[in-house]
Amino acid sequence: MTLVNVLYVGVLLFCLGLYGTLTRRNVIGILLSVEIMANSVNVILVAFSRFTQNLLGQVFAVFVMSLTVAEVVVGLALVILLYRTMRHTDIDEASRLRH
Amino acid sequence: MKQVVCDTRVSTMQDQTLLLPATVALFLPLLTALLLAVLVPVRRHGWAAAGASVVTAVIALAAAAHVLAQPSDGQSHVWSVTWLAQAGAEIGVLGVRVDGISSSMLVIVTLVAACVQIFSLGYMKDEPRPALGRYFAYHSFFIFSMNLLVLAPNLLQFFLGWELVGLTSYLLIGFYYQKPSAGYAAVKAFWITKLADMGFLFGLLSLFVVSGGFDFDASLAPGPATAVTLGLFLAVMGKSAQFPLHVWLPNAMEGPTPVSALLHAATMVAAGVYLLVRAFPLFGQAPVTLDVMLWVGSFTAIFAALIAVVQTDIKRVLAYSTCSQLGYMVAAVGAGSAFSAYFHLTTHAFFKALLFLAAGSVIHAVHSNELTSMGGLGKKMPITSATFGIGALALAGFPGFSGFFSKDSILESLAEHRAWVPLIFLLAAAFLTAFYMGRTYVLAFMGKAAGHAGHAHESQSNMTAPLIVLAVGALGIGWFGHAFAGRLSQEYSFEFGGIGAIATVLGLTGLSLAVVLYRKRGLAADRSPPLLALSGFVNSAAVDRAVAMGFRGLALPLSKTVSWFDRYVVDGLINLIGWLGLNASKRLQRLQTGNSLDYIMAVVIGTLLVIAWGVVS
Repeated sequence: MTLVNVLYVGVLLFCLGLYGTLTRRNVIGILLSVEIMANSVNVILVAFSRFTQNLLGQVFAVFVMSLTVAEVVVGLALVILLYRTMRHTDIDEASRLRH
Repeated sequence: MKQVVCDTRVSTMQDQTLLLPATVALFLPLLTALLLAVLVPVRRHGWAAAGASVVTAVIALAAAAHVLAQPSDGQSHVWSVTWLAQAGAEIGVLGVRVDGISSSMLVIVTLVAACVQIFSLGYMKDEPRPALGRYFAYHSFFIFSMNLLVLAPNLLQFFLGWELVGLTSYLLIGFYYQKPSAGYAAVKAFWITKLADMGFLFGLLSLFVVSGGFDFDASLAPGPATAVTLGLFLAVMGKSAQFPLHVWLPNAMEGPTPVSALLHAATMVAAGVYLLVRAFPLFGQAPVTLDVMLWVGSFTAIFAALIAVVQTDIKRVLAYSTCSQLGYMVAAVGAGSAFSAYFHLTTHAFFKALLFLAAGSVIHAVHSNELTSMGGLGKKMPITSATFGIGALALAGFPGFSGFFSKDSILESLAEHRAWVPLIFLLAAAFLTAFYMGRTYVLAFMGKAAGHAGHAHESQSNMTAPLIVLAVGALGIGWFGHAFAGRLSQEYSFEFGGIGAIATVLGLTGLSLAVVLYRKRGLAADRSPPLLALSGFVNSAAVDRAVAMGFRGLALPLSKTVSWFDRYVVDGLINLIGWLGLNASKRLQRLQTGNSLDYIMAVVIGTLLVIAWGVVS
């Protein structure tokens, strides 16, 4: 198992998340995809940490995890509010702030 | 004349005794006018406003008399402040200039104004009170505007006063604004004088370009001098009602009669002649302009006198007579004699204001302007008829009365100038003047009473007192020609020459002819063939129509071009800038879809672009 192979996995995961973010219309789906992107970064951080014998990368991965948790809390709260006002969670329809 | 420019701090005693009263005469009426404008209850009370205004006018008169009473030292005393000092050159110097010309004019203006205001107390007493307050507020403002012009140390301030008296004239002609004809008359007067004032503006600006200042006595090269003075003279033709721009003055009689006496006979219309006298050093440099003046003035004198002969409205007779007399003054300046013009201006101010006020007294008694509804008033209104008679004799140039001396002085100056045809015009006008004044007097005060005239009675004392004061002036002022000339540093002594004799004989013939014609037959005498033909021409309003056509032909295309330029070039440019901004923002707006996915997409594309840029470089 080489570093490059692990990085491939990370990049694949990142692109998957990006694709999901751009194509999903459901807000919850978008949040999930954003989580996947964040975790792809975690994979890469840990991989570098493992192959360079530097623990700093793993520390960062833990930070990223806690930050994404906080972000999901806020994001889900917004999704619930969105659902309450619009009775659905379709992102294409949620363009009212434009006006 | 040497000019003494002085700062307020270092002024001599002589300056203070002259300049302080002059400043009071200038600014006190402004203060009163402003107070009457702001303190609405006082103005709407009417009589309070009238009292304030009359007291102001009397104080201004006292101040002016104090200035005139100082011995003349032949110098001009100037107190001035610099206006627009930041603009580099001294563009605007405003102030007060007291010298022989302005001090006597100051007294004429304030004296006639005071008389007219006191007369108005009686004449306007039946007006609604708010209207009365408005009337006197305008009057105070008029004194300020006129004095601003009279005391002007340069042409710029003169122009300010010039425009302000035009404004007051407009307001007072349209005083009875509920009457459509008064509204039209006010607009007509305003438009025609404004059209002429384009000439003033042209002259003023070219004078500044050429000489770098607005001095009355700038010396110019012959070409620019002609251009500048012709521009100024156009404005004079409008203000002083010279042919063909005289058409507004008869209509201006729609205003109250005391207004006609003050503005449209004695002072405001004379402002044009005052400009010619004041800026004579400038006009004297342009022989072409002087020739134009000579011809325009003398033609106006005879033309307006002809029209006056067949008017049946007493105020219109006097209005055309004013045009005619102003023509005399303009012709005198054209002949190079500013002094005789100014002399005639002074005597004319007295006797014409007197005639108008006496006519006002008659109109007040019979409730009509028409000569047909007057007649036989001589016995019923002894003071009015006597004073009107004095005014008429002075205007007709009866020996010993003021008009006789000043008219003679003008005729002599024309003879000296060898301007024979204009001289003949003026002599004919002198005959006609005597004729129409005789006619008016006979029709109004002699013969049988018609209509209301049967139970007319003499006006109250606050109306007759001003008549008497002015009558004394109209009688006596002519004898002071030499003192007057002294103030202007001129030589004058009355000599009864051949021209004077001819004019006197013509005047007496005109008077007696009128008396003989109208004494027995009354207005029926107007049906003699020459007079009938004349009135046919006048009633066809051919002149009015020609002026209107000229106005349409010349002014309308010009204003249309200017308005096109303004609308499509000036406004167009501004609108284009606005349109560009608006359009650009509309297009940029489309980027903001409000759709979150589009924003994320933009972030991704942006990131990719940054990376690509990093790779390439």
